[in-house]
Amino acid sequence: MTRRDHPNEVPAAGVSRREALARLGGTLAAVGGSAWAIRHFYDPRGDAGLPTYEGARLRNYFASVFDNFAPSDPRISVARGRATGDEVSPEMIRKMLHTALGPMGGIERFVQRGDVVLIKPNVAFDRGPRMGATTNPDVLGEVVRLCKGAGARRVLVADNPIEKAEPCFAKSKIREAAERSGAEVILPAATTFAPVAIRPGEPDPTRNEALGTWEVFYRPLQLADKVIGLPPIKDHNLCFASMSIKNWYGLLCGRRNQFHQAIHDIVSDLGMMISPTLVLVDGTRVLMKNGPTGGRLEDVTIGGVDGRPCIVASVDPLASDAWCLRHLLGRDPGLLRYLELAEQKIAARIESWRSRSGNEATPNQIDGKRFAMRDWSAYERQGLIRESSVV
Amino acid sequence: MRITTVRILVQILIFGLFVSFCVLTTYSFVDERHGQTWVSKFLEIDPLVAISTGLATGTIYKGLAWSAVLIIPTLLLGRIFCNWICPYGILHQFIGWVFNTRNAKERFDSNRYDGIYALKYCILIAMLVAVLGQFSLALLLVGAALAVVAVPLGWVIARSVRHPATRRTCLVGVVVLSVSATIAGARSVTKGDWNGTLQIGLLDPICLLHRSVTAAVLPALNMPLVVQEGVPGVAGGVGDYKQHIGATLIGGLLLFLVGMNLFIPRFFCRVLCPLGACLGVLSRFALWRIERDPNKCTDCDLCLHACEGASDPHTQLRKSECFVCFNCIEDCPHDALSFRFLPPKRHEIAAPDLRLRNGVFAAVIGFLFYPFARASGKSSKDFSAGNLVRPPGSCEEWEFLERCIKCDQCIRVCPTNVLQPYPFDLENLEALWTPVMNFRMGFCQLHCTACGEVCPTGAIQRIGVEQKLGLGAYADTGPVVLGTAHYDLGRCLPWSMKKPCVVCEEVCPTSPKAIYSERMQFVERDGKTLVRSATDRTVTVGGLPKPGELSPEPIVFRANQFRGDGTTTYHVEIVHKNGVTETHEIRRNDADTIEIDGTFDQMPQAGEFAVIKYEWKVPKIDTEYCIGCGICEHECPVVGDRRAVYVTAEGESRSSKEPNRDRNRGLSLMKTADASGGGGSRRGALVSLSAMVVSPARPVRARANGGGDDCGCGTPCGSVGARHNGCSGHEVDLRKFLA
Repeated sequence: MTRRDHPNEVPAAGVSRREALARLGGTLAAVGGSAWAIRHFYDPRGDAGLPTYEGARLRNYFASVFDNFAPSDPRISVARGRATGDEVSPEMIRKMLHTALGPMGGIERFVQRGDVVLIKPNVAFDRGPRMGATTNPDVLGEVVRLCKGAGARRVLVADNPIEKAEPCFAKSKIREAAERSGAEVILPAATTFAPVAIRPGEPDPTRNEALGTWEVFYRPLQLADKVIGLPPIKDHNLCFASMSIKNWYGLLCGRRNQFHQAIHDIVSDLGMMISPTLVLVDGTRVLMKNGPTGGRLEDVTIGGVDGRPCIVASVDPLASDAWCLRHLLGRDPGLLRYLELAEQKIAARIESWRSRSGNEATPNQIDGKRFAMRDWSAYERQGLIRESSVV
Repeated sequence: MRITTVRILVQILIFGLFVSFCVLTTYSFVDERHGQTWVSKFLEIDPLVAISTGLATGTIYKGLAWSAVLIIPTLLLGRIFCNWICPYGILHQFIGWVFNTRNAKERFDSNRYDGIYALKYCILIAMLVAVLGQFSLALLLVGAALAVVAVPLGWVIARSVRHPATRRTCLVGVVVLSVSATIAGARSVTKGDWNGTLQIGLLDPICLLHRSVTAAVLPALNMPLVVQEGVPGVAGGVGDYKQHIGATLIGGLLLFLVGMNLFIPRFFCRVLCPLGACLGVLSRFALWRIERDPNKCTDCDLCLHACEGASDPHTQLRKSECFVCFNCIEDCPHDALSFRFLPPKRHEIAAPDLRLRNGVFAAVIGFLFYPFARASGKSSKDFSAGNLVRPPGSCEEWEFLERCIKCDQCIRVCPTNVLQPYPFDLENLEALWTPVMNFRMGFCQLHCTACGEVCPTGAIQRIGVEQKLGLGAYADTGPVVLGTAHYDLGRCLPWSMKKPCVVCEEVCPTSPKAIYSERMQFVERDGKTLVRSATDRTVTVGGLPKPGELSPEPIVFRANQFRGDGTTTYHVEIVHKNGVTETHEIRRNDADTIEIDGTFDQMPQAGEFAVIKYEWKVPKIDTEYCIGCGICEHECPVVGDRRAVYVTAEGESRSSKEPNRDRNRGLSLMKTADASGGGGSRRGALVSLSAMVVSPARPVRARANGGGDDCGCGTPCGSVGARHNGCSGHEVDLRKFLA
């Protein structure tokens, strides 16, 4: 360095030892760094940079209730009320809910203090509440209040509508009802989605399977301890009827419209995919025809063929769907292919759990803790269906 | 506080307001606070928008009256807008300041006036002449015709009248008379229809900035997942970030214009800005301006150090270029500069530096742009080829093109992303960046009229939901129809790909649904078989023999291959040798035997045809009810290069108001009189859509008939609506052919 102070002096050939070491070290470090980087990022097959789609697994939200569900406890409890004019008053809805849940042991049996409860109404369309295409907001509000009353820490309301979510939640008055009664609305957004492994591996269409791993509106399901299905009962142009199992369609994301090509496969897969804590059927305004969109008041009948508004509480979605199809839409459940397929699929799952239950506990164990029987008349013979009227 | 500090604070405030208004102008905001579209305020005070749409339409639409707020101070103080209020100018100044690498001398040179800065006046002239459109054409033709008379007359007067004062009066009289006659003549020739093309939005700074923010900047900011989850306002609610066709070009133009500041400071403002030019013209009347005291000035040129407008404050001030930024006053070391009331005229250059010939040339460009654009035929004869479906409430296309300023606020508020800036299309440059609907990207939400609510110029009219859907007071006019859906049967799954679907029917939002489904039977692949033997409820079949062979081929079905599932049912049609056919639903089957539901009316015999058919719903469209919302196209699972169902501008209601115009789409689809009834009989006269809009239920051709479902000709012809031989009095129900 000192040589530089004397610019006239000719520098000696070569460099100082220190400078030589520093320059050598710098170059070697760069060479070593490059080698390490190439080694570290080396990907001979070319697929290491591709994203992997590991699906999450859904919990069985019914498992905790299943454990102390006595064989004599009712599986379906129906409360029929009375309409005033062509409306069902909120008081009537409150009474019907209490009456329906009474024989089941009340909401406290399903929702415990501190639980996070997800309520899944049907908000599929940008329709007013009177059109029957979406869940009755008064019913939703009452259910939220019930859950809050039972000590739920948070009540979430979520659905992924076909049309734009915000207008659908606004027009159907679901958002207003949910927020007024103290629930949080979770709207679908890319961050709330996640792939979920509905069955291991790829679906086999020859066995009527539609879903393998698919993008699901997962965030609310992940947060929830308990899941309550709150479907309206609707005619459906393709799959005959939209009830509690079809209601889970609103948890699917992505290009789910392709599943209409195998509608019974997909709906039965949905029935197998999720095991809700409780199903509360909104039988107030039943869309009898032109479903699932409706749009005309003539298409809506209060209480369906029965003519009396009702709330159906059930722990068996299949039986509840079959019962509602028979008693609200007045159709033959034997014709509903997806119920039959769902029963087979759930039975196969329960069977695989039973065959393994001798072994050590696996996460799959709780898959078996659910009721799934579409033959509602069998329940009726065993006295597992309670029907009561609200005066 | 120094005046420039005040200015910077104002600039920060205004820019912050503009950005927050942009962010706030979302569907949810507009929906909750009807009529409060604050970002529009920037467009509404923009006098260029008011002047140009005023020239085009002869009216000042609603909020555009606010432009007085800006015109008046400009007439008093000069172009204060450019350096105090204009958010785009503020952006350019900021970027120029941050990325400035010039030394003092380079700065002085870069801030001297340059002849190229007059280009903006040419741009302004060209754009305003283009707005006049047909009127300027008529002016030219009538003016030329009148000149044939006026010029010889003037020549005669000049030669014959000796007295100078009288001669001058006469000549002035001739000029005034011929100019007024030209204007009056042009007005009467064009019958008040001054149809022109409004292009100021391409370069108007507010439109340009809002469009760039909408199409490129905000989507880019919304792209991170964490924002999409619902940072309030930013993402426009929650959900996917919006995508816009041509965002690269729109964003690229923003980058280019901002980047040009590195080469020429305030490049856009000095060279291109038509609003700046407009204000520059106005500012020649300003009573206040920057004044240099030559006695104090030492010609040090320090005032050029930060001159934003390049208005030459070091010599005669170019009044039309000065942005009134006050930097020169701050920078002057000798206090030679001041902002003075009524300074002497000889110290200024008041008018823009525009040579007459350049101005005339610009006018010629604008003058020719309109006929060139219209002659391309894209807004008339070849209209639908560009798939131009406009948002609900849009004016008829020609009216639309003279109102839309391409600010793209409608695109910003659209909740479904269906509204897209029309892309750079060499065949239709006129429509560049105007809103069109793209049903692959979104659909028109049934109960939404946000686009019309934010439109500052009325290109999209402010219609409410009632008017959009044809409810209440609008029941007679019917809903606003954007277009009509069509099926591509070759792509439609249940029609031709042997898959059930009808998603389109499910999502169709009208009531009754425009898309309905019908159960139809199609022959199963290899479903034509021959009966080998039968019982009263089963039939055993074999494959059709090859040509020349007599006995049926063996056949192997999968067990219960033909068992229905509620969505699909299977049927077997027996074609008896005596010509009678019967069809029965299949209950189950094994390898070659089919069991039917019920019993055969006539026992099938060996050798008769047994045709196996599947039956399911296929979608059809009832054009009476289709409003062209496009949700069917959006939700169609056939997502390749074209959907199986798609919407075109056919039947759009906006063009039926101008049935004479070439691109009217209303008449191509006829609507029958029972359009609003539903379920009624098909009798009644045909009513064209345009006739329905103009006067509801006015029959085009009256028709006396008392018939029921048959055609009503009084003979049992059995023809429903369609014309048949020997019966001349019936209308043709076009829907028969459409179906």
